[in-house]
Order: sequence, then structure tokens, then C-alpha cells
Amino acid sequence: MFSDLLFRLRSLFRRSAVEAELDDELRFHFEQQITKYMESGLTREEATRRARLETGGLDQIKEECREARGLHVLETIVQDVRYGLRMLRRSPMFTIVAVLTLSLGIGVNTAIFSMVDWLMLRPLPVPNAKQLVYLGMRHKSGYASNGFSYPNFEDIRQQTGLIFSSVAGAQMVQVDGLEVDGTTAPFWTNYVTGDFFSMMGVRPALGRFIVPSEDRKADADPVLVISYACWQSRFHGAADVIGKTVKVDGNPVKVIGVAPKGFHGAIAMLHTEGYLPMGMVIRNLGFKSDFFTNREDSEGTALFARLRTGVTLEQAQPVLDVIAKRLAQQYPKADDWTTVRVFHLGALPPSSDGPGEVPMIAALFLLLAGLVLLLACMNIANLLLVRAGVRSREIAVRSALGASRGRLVRQSLTESFLLAVLGCMGGILLGYGGSRALSAIPLGSSIPIILDLSFNWRVFAFAVVAAWLASLLVGMVPALRGSRVNANEILHESSRTFSGNRQRLRSVLAIAELGGSLALLIVAGLFVRSLQMVQHVDLGFDPQGVFNIGIDVHEAGYDATRARRFFEDALSRVRRLPGVQSAIFASTVPMGLENDGAFLKIPGYQPPKDQDRPSAGYDAVTPGYFATMRIPLLRGRNFLPSDDASSPYVAVVNETMAKKYWPGQDPIGRSFVLDGEPAHTVQIIGVAKDSRTGNISESIDAFLYLPLAQKYEVPVTLQVRTRPGQLAALMSSVSGIIRSMEPGMPLSDVKTMTAVIDGPNGLLLYQMGAGVSGAIGLLGLLLAIIGVYGVISYSAAQRTQEIGVRMALGAARSDILRMIFRQGTVLVGFGIALGVLVAAGFSSMLGNLLVGVKPLDAITYVGASGLLALIALIACYLPAHRAVRVDPMVALRHE
Amino acid sequence: MPPSLELPQGTLDLLILRTLALQPQHGWGISERLQQTSGDVLQIKQGSLYPALHRLQRRGWIKARWATSENNRRAKYYELTQAGRRQLEIEKNDWEKLTAAVAQVLGTA
Repeated sequence: MFSDLLFRLRSLFRRSAVEAELDDELRFHFEQQITKYMESGLTREEATRRARLETGGLDQIKEECREARGLHVLETIVQDVRYGLRMLRRSPMFTIVAVLTLSLGIGVNTAIFSMVDWLMLRPLPVPNAKQLVYLGMRHKSGYASNGFSYPNFEDIRQQTGLIFSSVAGAQMVQVDGLEVDGTTAPFWTNYVTGDFFSMMGVRPALGRFIVPSEDRKADADPVLVISYACWQSRFHGAADVIGKTVKVDGNPVKVIGVAPKGFHGAIAMLHTEGYLPMGMVIRNLGFKSDFFTNREDSEGTALFARLRTGVTLEQAQPVLDVIAKRLAQQYPKADDWTTVRVFHLGALPPSSDGPGEVPMIAALFLLLAGLVLLLACMNIANLLLVRAGVRSREIAVRSALGASRGRLVRQSLTESFLLAVLGCMGGILLGYGGSRALSAIPLGSSIPIILDLSFNWRVFAFAVVAAWLASLLVGMVPALRGSRVNANEILHESSRTFSGNRQRLRSVLAIAELGGSLALLIVAGLFVRSLQMVQHVDLGFDPQGVFNIGIDVHEAGYDATRARRFFEDALSRVRRLPGVQSAIFASTVPMGLENDGAFLKIPGYQPPKDQDRPSAGYDAVTPGYFATMRIPLLRGRNFLPSDDASSPYVAVVNETMAKKYWPGQDPIGRSFVLDGEPAHTVQIIGVAKDSRTGNISESIDAFLYLPLAQKYEVPVTLQVRTRPGQLAALMSSVSGIIRSMEPGMPLSDVKTMTAVIDGPNGLLLYQMGAGVSGAIGLLGLLLAIIGVYGVISYSAAQRTQEIGVRMALGAARSDILRMIFRQGTVLVGFGIALGVLVAAGFSSMLGNLLVGVKPLDAITYVGASGLLALIALIACYLPAHRAVRVDPMVALRHE
Repeated sequence: MPPSLELPQGTLDLLILRTLALQPQHGWGISERLQQTSGDVLQIKQGSLYPALHRLQRRGWIKARWATSENNRRAKYYELTQAGRRQLEIEKNDWEKLTAAVAQVLGTA
């Protein structure tokens, strides 16, 4: 088989050489024959004559040899390609429009797919990444989490030997400060158990990894493994980094190893810069000293595991179900879960509830992009149909000259295949540009997210398959129609008649395009409306004129006493600056990346049966907070400097919390206890108006404010309210003041409050959704305009003669206009009906992604339909206008 | 010139393979040898011989290379490949079965 192909290819590509060889071979034969006859006594002339007589027609022999070489099929393909290229070159406008359209369609798909690939498909760069899993649980209250207690880790590791070859625990995504040679910078770390690296299956680029004997040693011999990128950037790739002592959060640690290049930890999209033994969480992160034994109240540990070879997720789950049930019976209070589930560890951060909404968002956007490609294909099919009309004579002639139907279909497919190849190349270029543009979206945070939309074979294969499907779609329609020609009829027919059938097909295509485009517009409109709604959400505070500076005294190695002194000192210096209205410290920022929350013990409060223990989000703040954020205090008093660690503990609650836990009562004077701090009863001194704290689109939940002096939290954010016009200047001078107080103090997220609101927990996702879907919608609209314009102008041109007759018979221009518009209106009407149906089909997917807008929002549907109708009718007007300006005499002569 | 016989379909391939099994040979040599060994009964026309050679080459049963002939001329020599040798065995077998069968039928007729 293979030799066959090689032989054919050689015959094809070295055609002249092969032909010359054949000539030589035949000449040799001829001359040998002459020699033979001469040896038998004939004269030269006689010998030559006999040899020639025997040989017969040389050309015929050669032709038969060619056929024997199997050249025929390949040669016709080459012919088809040459012919196709010639046809494309002959109508450059058609080619440019078709290739551009296809490029846009494939480009959009490629760009979106590269995003999906990054989010969902790219495996971790470790051996047999498919075996890696993580665990998540669901509490009785319905609350999902993936934070297990450390004893849980040991239980699960000991009991899952049958399904997991190794289990590792990690305190994920911690921000520490790394001090190398006197300069401190934020350092994103994991605190891992000793099995972490062996479970991942990676080998160190340098040195060694943390081993199981080290993982619980708190202080004895602290060690650190750094990422390859961190080694390069912070240590300049120095080989002597191993054994070097650096400081993490002010504590000296020894660098023992460098992780391999490209390995960024358990979360593919987040760059984990350093790994420390789990034992160090007590000293570095301030976890309670009973962290390793406390089942009920300790910080959550994420659990990862590697499935044994041959064990599937479906086989592992029932084993885990048994273990989870056993633990829940053994420790009903601590392990109050209903299920523990196992998920594949993908590119997405392990979320407590599996992959969540991301697959749906990905599916939605791939669908939208696919719709664009479909529109592009219909457009090109339409253009090809026009050409098929123009070329029907040519095809009829070829068919009359003996080209088979198969040959004609193949010819047509070859042309669309050529278009697809060109479109695919253009699409990959555009897709590359598009994914670059997507990568450049500012994520508005200091988190080291790896937004790597680089092309890989999956993205490339996707583009090629998309192009291939497109070429099939595009080529089939006109090929099948074009080949069904009756040569006799067409050659005899005058160009006057126009094929009603073909026109009907083109109209159907135009309706489909309008419908698809309207569906895209509606979805885009819904996202835009959703963004508008979110933008006009009542925040409950005033972000204008406020800026933030994240300060991590903990990273600089400060303890609580030193930190408090630093806060007071910093505030008094900043407040003295002209232009500063007020300044405070707060542990969290609304729509920021950090959230604090606690369980509460409330005397006399009985939670409803199906609900968890009472809890609330909180923010530890310094006095003056409410004035700085302009959150109205509805009742009670503000925090005062006198509310310090030595005075009675106090709190301000928001309206929702007051209503939730003290319904129909006056919360002022009531008290509660924070879980884990039983020594202090906290008394409520005020009620603040509700404001948005966590995510901009979530409903407001119970929230409380505590004095920072009574609830020490790090890191903190300095929030400064400035007088109008002073914001930018003050941002740099305040940073300067902090630096002058402590040169090594790590500062982060120095930005205005409005920038925070544009961030990941604020508007960013809504802006991205509106931006991407808006771009897709506009693209769809553009394609629909081209489609409608094409259909109307073509049919108007076809009817030039008819129009001439009508006008000669006395029809007014307005009658003609009306006639053409009627055709356009019918198309648009059907298109809108189709589009509304398609868009409604999307609504179930959209439900969870929209805020403040229903998936069947009437305003969006009517607005988008109106816009489409308007633009489509304008597209009709131009050809209609051209048609009525025609001179009846010219039109009648038009042949 | 003695009358030449029309070869049954596919027989030429077998004869060429058989000829090349002895030694590599160029096209003219093959036709000469067939003529000699058949006592001038088989005279292979170039119009049959060369397409057959190209066909056999495409199937990978024979391969060709250029070499110098007995009288010091450049000629294209064909030789059997491994696959060609196997094919020869198969075709020889088939041929023997076929001729035996035909002979039997003719004998009993």
C-alpha cells in the first residue's frame, strides 16, 4: 500500500523525470531490436523498418504506462486544484469576501476555544495527570466546601489505600512575604504534606522536595521549595540557591529545591511560587497550635490524591461514600457532611462543588461562536450559489463535453476546500490575535494568574476541524445543485429566465442568517443589559474619591503589638496630609479578594431546622470607617478609639443581620460570641445600612463590623477618602509615607475603590461577558447584512428586465420600491421569528449568568429585533434604489 | 514469423515474474527471453510489456534501477522484491491448478 502511494507520488511530482526515463527505456528497447535484426543479417534500414513496425504507436504505449502507474486520480486532483485556484483568482472580490468571512468565523471559534482549552482541557504538566483528583464535601446545610480538617486527611489517607496510590493535603493559596537579600515581596505559597510532590509525580529541577518526615516539623528545620519561575526571577537562576537561607514572613527558612519548569502547583491557572511543609502553618500563618489534632474548628485543608492505575472516578466514589459515612457516624459534630465527592483535578481551581458553572459558560460561548461560523458558511454558500448561477453555462458546457457528475461535484468541493484552507489560515491568524486580545484583559489583581492562551495542538486541531466542517457545509449545497444541471436545457435557455428554485434556497439561507444573527444579538443584548444592571446596583457605600493600599505587616514579620503601633502611627501621618478627608484601616475591602466570615453563638436564637449554625461575614475596622466609606449608620453609635482590647467587645451589624437574628427586636445591646473566641461576649452598639461586601451580584447577607483593636486581622488595607481631584497625587504620596516608615513593607493592590469594583468580584466578569458576546453579536450582524444585501441585490439585478417592463407599462417607482421591499420584509419577518425562537432556546443556559435581567427580557428582544430589521431594510434599500433608477429601455434590452 | 498467441489475462504478469526470478533483466531482455524459451510462440508487444512492468512496480512486486547493459549501454533493469517472490509462488500455484483443471475438463470432454 505504502509503496503504491510512493510510486504514485513519485510519478506525480517527478513527472518529467519519469517520462524521460520511459522515453530512454523505450528507445533502448527499440535500438536493441535493431541491433538484433542487423545481427541476423538485415541492413540498417530494413532492421529499423521492422522494429518500428513492431513497436506501433509510441504515444499509446506511454499513455498505457501512465495509466499503469495509477496517475489518473492524483492527476485529476491536481487539475482540479489548479482549475479551482484559477477560478478564485478570476473573481478576486468573491474570493476576498469569502475568505474573510470564513476567517472571521474560524477566528472567533479558535479564540473562544483557546479560552476553553485554558480553562478546562489543559492537563497539569505532570505524568498521568488524568489520575489526579481532589475531594469536595457537602455539609448538611447544603454548604459545599473542600476544606477538610487535618485529622480528616489522615483518616482518608489511611482508609483509601485501595483506590488511591497516594493522598496529599495542602493549605492552598496563601500569601506570604519572601525576603531575599533584604527586599520583601508577596509570595504565593502552598503549605503541603510530605506526599505532595511524589503524588504529583514530578522531579525537582534542582535539589530535592519536601519529604514526609519533614511535613509536621513546625520549627526544627524549616525548608522551602520554590517554583522554577521564582528561582529565575527572585534568585536569577543561581545554582547556589540550594541551601540558601531566606525569610518567609520574617521566619528564616532554607531553600532545598526548585520545582521543574512549567509546574505551577495543583492549580494550573495560578502560579504557586513556593511550597512549605504543612508543619509551618502554625508559626507562619498563625493557625492554632492544635491544628493537627483539632477536628471541629481548624482551618480547612484541601485534599488531593492520585488514583491507582486502572481505578476510575466512578469506582473510587463508592469507596469514598463508605468512608465518608463511617466518619460522619464516628464524629457527627465535626464531620457533619452528607457526601464527600471526588473530582478530576483539571485546570480550574478545585472548587468545593466540582466544576461549577464554567463548563456551561464554555458551552454557551462555543455555541455562540459556532453559530457565527454557521452564519459565515451560509454566507459563502450564498455567494457560491450566485456564482453557480453565473457559471451554470460553464458547467453545462463542461458536462456536455463529457465531465461526469462526480467530477463536477468534486470540482466544486475542491473550490470550497481551497476556500476553507485559505479561511483556515486566516482564521488561525485572527484567532491568535483574538486570544492575544483576550489574554490582555487586565484581571485587575495582584494574583499571579497564568492566562496562557498560547496555541497548542488541541487549538490547532480545533481550527482545522472547524475549517473542514465549514468547507463541507459550504461546498455541498452548490455542488449538489450545480451538478444537477440539464446541459441541454441551460445551453438552449436564454439568460432571461431565472431559476426560481435557486432563489428560494438563497432566501431560506438569508432567513437562517437573519435568525442566527438575531439570536446572537439578543444574547449579546442580555449580557449588556446585565452589565448595566450590575453597574447601577446600589452599592450602599460611595467608592468615588477613595483609594486603597494593601499592607501586609505579617509578611514584614510584625507581631500584633508592633502592628497596632504601626497602624496608629500611619493613620496619624496620613490624616495630616492636605487633601485627605479621612483614613482608616480595614481587614477586607468590598468586592476585594479577601473575605472573612465566622460562625456565631447567639443566646436565644434557634436556627430553622434546615439551616446551619448562625454565621456572618465580618470586617475588622478602625474608628471612622463608616464616614470614610459613607455607609449611613441607622441606629446606635460609631466605633470610638476607646473601643480597644481592654474595653468591652463591641460590634456594628448590618440591617440584614439585625433582621435575620433578632427579628422584630431592637438589636442594640444584644450580644453574641464569635466561634473560637469564647472569652469575649460581643455587644451590638449600632446598625449600619446594608451595603455590598462580597460579590457585586450576590444578595446581601448578614454582615458585621468589629473594631480592629479587638479583632486583629492581617493583612489590612489602608483606605483613604480624598477631596475631589486629589486622588492620584495622594495615592503616590501615601505609598511614599508607608515606605518611609518601613522600607521593606510589602504593599499590594494600590488602586482606587472604583478600580476594585471593576475587578473580578465586581464588574470584570460582566464586562468580559458583555464584551465577548457583544463582539460575537456584531460579527453576526455584519454577516447577516452581507447575506441580505446579497440576496436582495441579486434578485433585483435578475429582475431588471421585469422591472423595465413594469415601468414601461406605467408602474411608478414607488410601486417598484414597494415590490422589492416586500421581498425584504418577508425575509426579515421570517428571520426575526426564527431568531426569537433560537434565542429562547438559549435562555435556559443563560439563566444563571444574568443579573437583574430575565433570559426572556422583552426590552432586549424587541430592541435587538428592531435593530436587525432596521439594518436589514437599509441593506434592501440600496439595491432597490438602484433597480428603480434603471432606464426602462436599457432594462428591456438587458440580456 | 510464426503466429503469436494471445496471452490469457494476467498470464503476462506471471511470465515476467518468472523471468525476473532467474536474474534482474531489462525490458528488452525479458521479451527476448520469453520469445526464446517459448520457441518463438510468445512475442510480447511493447504496448503490453511496459505497462505491465509499471503495474508490477506499482504493486511493489518488482523494482527498477538503472545499470549498464552487456553492450555497455544504460538500461533499466527490473528485479523481484520479496513481495514479488511470494506473488510468483502464489501465481504459479494458481496457474498449475488452473491448467490442471482445464486439462481435466478437456480430457473428460
